[in-house]
Amino acid sequence: MTTELPYAADAEVSLSYDELEVLRSQYEREVAAGHVTVQTKFNYSWGLVKSPIRDDQVEGVRLLQEIYRSEPTRRRECLYYLALGHYKMGNYEDARKFNALLMDKEPTNMQALSLGTLIDKKVAREGYIGMALAGGAAAVGAILLATVIRRASRK
Amino acid sequence: MANPPEGLRPKDREKDKKKHPRAPLPPDGGMAGSSSASTSGQGGGPSKFEVVSRAIMSPFHRRNDSNKILSELAPVIMTPRMMNAAATVSSRPQERLRNETSTNSRAVDFATLGRAPLRTLGSRRITSRDLQIVEATEELLDADVPEPEGVASNVSLLRGFNATIPSAEKGRSRRRQIRNVDVGEKLGLKQLGMSARGLMVDEEEEERQLEREREHEAQSVASEDDVVVVGGRGKKGKGKKKGRESLSAGKMFGKEELTRQTSEILLDKENLHVKRALIENEIAEITHKIETLDKIRAKLENDLLKLQEDELELDDELEGVKEQLAAERANTVGHHHKTATPLLHIVPSSRRRKGPAFLPSEHDDLPPGVAFMTLEGHITPITALDFSEPYGTLVTASQEDSQPRVWDLLTGEEIGRLRGHHGSVKCIQVEDQICLTGGEDGNVRIWDLRKVDDEDDWEGEGEVVNLSDVAEEGDEGEGEMVERPNGVGGKSIRSGTAGSATEKSGPCVRLLEGHTKAVSTLYFEDDCLVTGASDKTLRQWDLSTGQCVMTMDILWAISHPTSPGSSTLPGYFPGAAAAAGSFAVPTPPYADGSWEMYQDFVGAVQFWGYALVSGSGDGAVRMWDMRTGQTHRTLAGHTGPVTCLQFDEMHVMSGSLDKTIRIWDLRSGGIFETLKYDHAVTSLQFDTRKVVAATGENGIKIYNRTTMQNSTLLTNGHTRPVEKLRYMDRFMVSGGRDATVKVWAL
Repeated sequence: MTTELPYAADAEVSLSYDELEVLRSQYEREVAAGHVTVQTKFNYSWGLVKSPIRDDQVEGVRLLQEIYRSEPTRRRECLYYLALGHYKMGNYEDARKFNALLMDKEPTNMQALSLGTLIDKKVAREGYIGMALAGGAAAVGAILLATVIRRASRK
Repeated sequence: MANPPEGLRPKDREKDKKKHPRAPLPPDGGMAGSSSASTSGQGGGPSKFEVVSRAIMSPFHRRNDSNKILSELAPVIMTPRMMNAAATVSSRPQERLRNETSTNSRAVDFATLGRAPLRTLGSRRITSRDLQIVEATEELLDADVPEPEGVASNVSLLRGFNATIPSAEKGRSRRRQIRNVDVGEKLGLKQLGMSARGLMVDEEEEERQLEREREHEAQSVASEDDVVVVGGRGKKGKGKKKGRESLSAGKMFGKEELTRQTSEILLDKENLHVKRALIENEIAEITHKIETLDKIRAKLENDLLKLQEDELELDDELEGVKEQLAAERANTVGHHHKTATPLLHIVPSSRRRKGPAFLPSEHDDLPPGVAFMTLEGHITPITALDFSEPYGTLVTASQEDSQPRVWDLLTGEEIGRLRGHHGSVKCIQVEDQICLTGGEDGNVRIWDLRKVDDEDDWEGEGEVVNLSDVAEEGDEGEGEMVERPNGVGGKSIRSGTAGSATEKSGPCVRLLEGHTKAVSTLYFEDDCLVTGASDKTLRQWDLSTGQCVMTMDILWAISHPTSPGSSTLPGYFPGAAAAAGSFAVPTPPYADGSWEMYQDFVGAVQFWGYALVSGSGDGAVRMWDMRTGQTHRTLAGHTGPVTCLQFDEMHVMSGSLDKTIRIWDLRSGGIFETLKYDHAVTSLQFDTRKVVAATGENGIKIYNRTTMQNSTLLTNGHTRPVEKLRYMDRFMVSGGRDATVKVWAL
């Protein structure tokens, strides 16, 4: 049942504010009581990762990391969620690393495979934008340089 | 005024004042008025100031600019505030980190190359939390990822999530709502229905059945409105159809809705199962954690106990040092007033309270629990031993040997022998230079250990504290006998005994005769001595006069039990009780299989003040009042002869041939604790922290009273069972059936 993981699309569907609030209050209640169950922590962190607000996502990933540290038996699962969280945050590099580690363990994991391709796509897209920007900058620079040279040579 | 830097403002004011010295002061007077108030009289004032302030300000502006340039050029000279600002604004560290990591995989190089400028251009804020997360990546990736086990392999986090989020309850609340809406509409009719339930239309019956099943399945806490009273059927034959309808079950849902509800309920059930699994797992986890914490607590408690022990040890040490201090002070006083110094005067001290007065400094470095010295010379099992202090003088006696030997514990050599007894010596007590021995011949002898054999040699080895006394012996030796009333109050009585000793030759100072059979035990403090003998009596002696002060008959005590309700004391050792003949019991075999006939009717005595405690062959521990000579309490419990005992403020400890040590509570008279051993207990000594016992085995048993743990000293120990032992502080001497005497560091 370890392959029971949500697809990346699921992470884009955010919970309602009330639902997240319920998870948050449950988490905070358990924190105050001194013992946080893994499930509660995960519920809250997963709710946060699903949120569209970046700060929430960051907090969610942080909680996932805590689970990862403290619960060795949950690490396999957490790998995927961490990858997904980083993916949502836009840290494609880290997302790729976590996903790669998971793929290493479970090469046939459908969710991991699909997440992998998604990451690649995103990275490529950003790369193109970046390249375009860099290219544009280079062109502008070249033009400026050319004008400067021309001016200099005209004198 | 504009905004000049803070530091300049007062100066400006000063200037301002100087510029307009004749300006009228405001009514409130003095400097309190603002500069504008003081300058209000002059028309061009403010503008002038603007000019001035601008003039002052301008270099600052310029300097700020230059600062910025500088900081950009060389980050080193940036002020901390600037550094902070830069750190929060720029994403430089992250960028660097990313570039570093990206070089690992060639495929990504392209992308990151492009992305870097995008990042800096984009307005996304990078918080410290982001950085924290990114930095943790490497560490997390390095961590081992084990196969999931336990609940982790059964219930995935997502499954748990779906089962526990609030929306998981949606289905149930929806169903309830559907039913309740109906009820709400016909609330008035509901009452009617309750009174008129019973009549069923066929289809309704069917639906009701289904609904009831579902209710049962879902284990839903049925709301009041959902109650279907089964027993109510047929109660009233003439129910109305309307009434049935008002019950929630009566509503028509349609097949589709019902199948949907069924699947929903099944899902709910599944969720319930998941939740249960999760909670069970948590419980198991917590149990585990509690166990771990318990272990930690036990360990910490142990540490605490150790600290307590250390503290007790320090207390003891402090007490010892103080005692020594008092002793030395008394000595110096004595030195100044020579006439007042008694011959053998030593500050009396209980053997239980002995400080580490003469502990050679190396002793603490010795490994604890190891016998570091073996004294060989005896040829028969050791029967009695005692020593004056650590590294002081030791006297030992063995079976069928009428001459106890005197040893120097510093060198481990035999100094000499105590000649005088006829028959073997059964008990010895040494206090400083005084030694008392009791023998099979029924006599007690008092010895001056300084006169043993070669006197000069002995004095050369003498203890520091007594040097002054020793030196004075020559002129002050003929001290008068001091008559003292019977009791323990006297302190200088020994001067009398010793004084008379000087007239005799040989170390034996005095002979106490009176017992008709072997003296098996003795105990003295100051000038009061109590002996116990196989003639079944205890005798109290005044050491200053050598007279027997009182005789206490144990047989009489046995036949006249004083404790109310204890006339038929159970558990008395049967063989010996009230036997008028000679007492003889075979000892239970030692660890090596040997045994012998035990004939000491009185195993041990000890007193403090007027309270005397004796342990005897009938297994009873008796407490006597030495003013009346009566027993006032008998502690019954041992099933064999008592061989040894000791008491302090709280407890009496007695060892017996019945293989136990019993710790008695002095206040209640009950057994506080029983320590069981495999063989007969022949000797014991205890303090607040431990009980040291010889229990018929080669090893010496130590019971730690604070940690309740037993340990055995074997290293370099006896090769046959230990018979007697005695310790002070961390220095112990034991005598065994292998005829050797071992000296231990504890």
